[in-house]
Amino acid sequence: MILFDNVSKLYPTQNQAALESLSLEIEKGEFVFLVGPSGSGKSTFLRLTLREDKPTSGRIRVAGKDLHRLSNWKVPHLRRRIGTVFQDFRLLPNKTVFENIAFALQVIGKPRRQINRDVPAVLELVGLDGKEDRLPDQLSGGEQQRVAVARAFVNRPLILLADEPTGNLDPGTSVGIMKLLDRINRTGTTVVMATHDQSIVDQMRKRVIELEHGKLVRDQSRGVYGYTR
Amino acid sequence: MRFQYVLSEITTGLRRNLTMTIALVIVVAISIAMLGAGLLIRSQAETTKGYWYDRIEISVFMCNEYSTGAGCADGAVTDAQRDTIRQTLESHPEVDEVFYENQEQAFARFSEQFDDSDIGGIITPDQLPESFRVALQDPEQYDGVVSAVAGLPGVQEVTDQRQLLEPLFRTLDGFQLVAFAITVIQIVAAVLLIGNTIRLAAFNRRRETGIMRLVGASNFYIQLPFILEAAIAGLLGSVLGVIALFGGVELIVGRFIAPNLQFTSWVDSADVWAATPWLLVAGVLFSMLASFVTLRRYLRV
Repeated sequence: MILFDNVSKLYPTQNQAALESLSLEIEKGEFVFLVGPSGSGKSTFLRLTLREDKPTSGRIRVAGKDLHRLSNWKVPHLRRRIGTVFQDFRLLPNKTVFENIAFALQVIGKPRRQINRDVPAVLELVGLDGKEDRLPDQLSGGEQQRVAVARAFVNRPLILLADEPTGNLDPGTSVGIMKLLDRINRTGTTVVMATHDQSIVDQMRKRVIELEHGKLVRDQSRGVYGYTR
Repeated sequence: MRFQYVLSEITTGLRRNLTMTIALVIVVAISIAMLGAGLLIRSQAETTKGYWYDRIEISVFMCNEYSTGAGCADGAVTDAQRDTIRQTLESHPEVDEVFYENQEQAFARFSEQFDDSDIGGIITPDQLPESFRVALQDPEQYDGVVSAVAGLPGVQEVTDQRQLLEPLFRTLDGFQLVAFAITVIQIVAAVLLIGNTIRLAAFNRRRETGIMRLVGASNFYIQLPFILEAAIAGLLGSVLGVIALFGGVELIVGRFIAPNLQFTSWVDSADVWAATPWLLVAGVLFSMLASFVTLRRYLRV
């Protein structure tokens, strides 16, 4: 589902490579934690997967597409197969829960009938049925993140990328979000989650990929956050 | 394409940037009015030239017995000299027609022109010159004909009516140049303003556009509201510019110039109507193009 083949990424203003000769493969339906200190290359990995950036060298395949050969105008179609969740939720403050999720379908031209069918379904999946008319600032942090997950998942993507989705949440709420991501993973969606949250990684016992200074230092199935920390 | 979504995005976008939108509308209005004025002046110059060039003649005045000047040293023009002049004119490639006017005819025309002035009673036919009236193939090419006959014996003077009209044409050309220069300056200002307006709009809506990119909205869909925003501002400005043009033609030409200067036909609102569709299309297309170019810089994939 995601294949990095000897990928390096150098940003012009930095001396050190953000990613250095990274090779890894993530299979369809896997749940993968991406761990490592700040600046280790986790965000670069996610950006390259989304084709927000191109690698300096190496090959990337995502959802069967060779990103090197993918022309600019086809990039939106790649992104429709990838859902993305961020630490800061990124909801539109002047739109209700329903409208926030519907927005993701509207802007890729989905018909109203499909929106009226899919949005309530995904709201039920994330446990927010009954709150569709709330505005984001009337929700708790955990609920806001559920809206963001619902928005990322409403189009049934093949891959869900989560960049520290529990970073702004307290431990109890984080567990709820993790259960939600696990449920989404069980529908067959590949989940890649970058995180600093040690207890979550240790509890879930999923595959762990650890980066340091842009290099792969550990790739362990049913792993824990780290030995040293 | 969800029409309602696009429409609501445009109206909120225009409202949020109200001051910029107003500035943009004004600048486009002035550009379009100036462009229209330039076009009208050009068509005015064409009309006036066409009107006068049909009437333009070169007059070759020949010596009479009272004449002085280099060509008239031998007194009145002789038959042989007159034939030479006629042949020279008729064989010249630029000459279309040659009419002869003798002293009696000149006197008749003179009397008609000065009918109610005292001078008519003093002049007698033999004091007036006989002349050839020459119509040209191409009114622009008068130099050759003038120089061909000017030095011949028996020719007192060659006058070219075009010389009288030259200042008028120069003035019209000058106005046209000024109008187009202002148009160019305004267009530069319009491009910069559109760029800034779009940049502000893109910045105001960076949250929305960021999410749109993330969920895979096409570039076209992301950019469409911005481009339509510019198009609407451009259309508003163009309409105002055309209205200003109508007003200007009505006030300046209709009330002031046309009633006082009747030697040619003047542009009127029919000419403005004819130019209106082009001006509107130009204003809208131009605004859209400017916003499209700006968006390529500020809304990247």
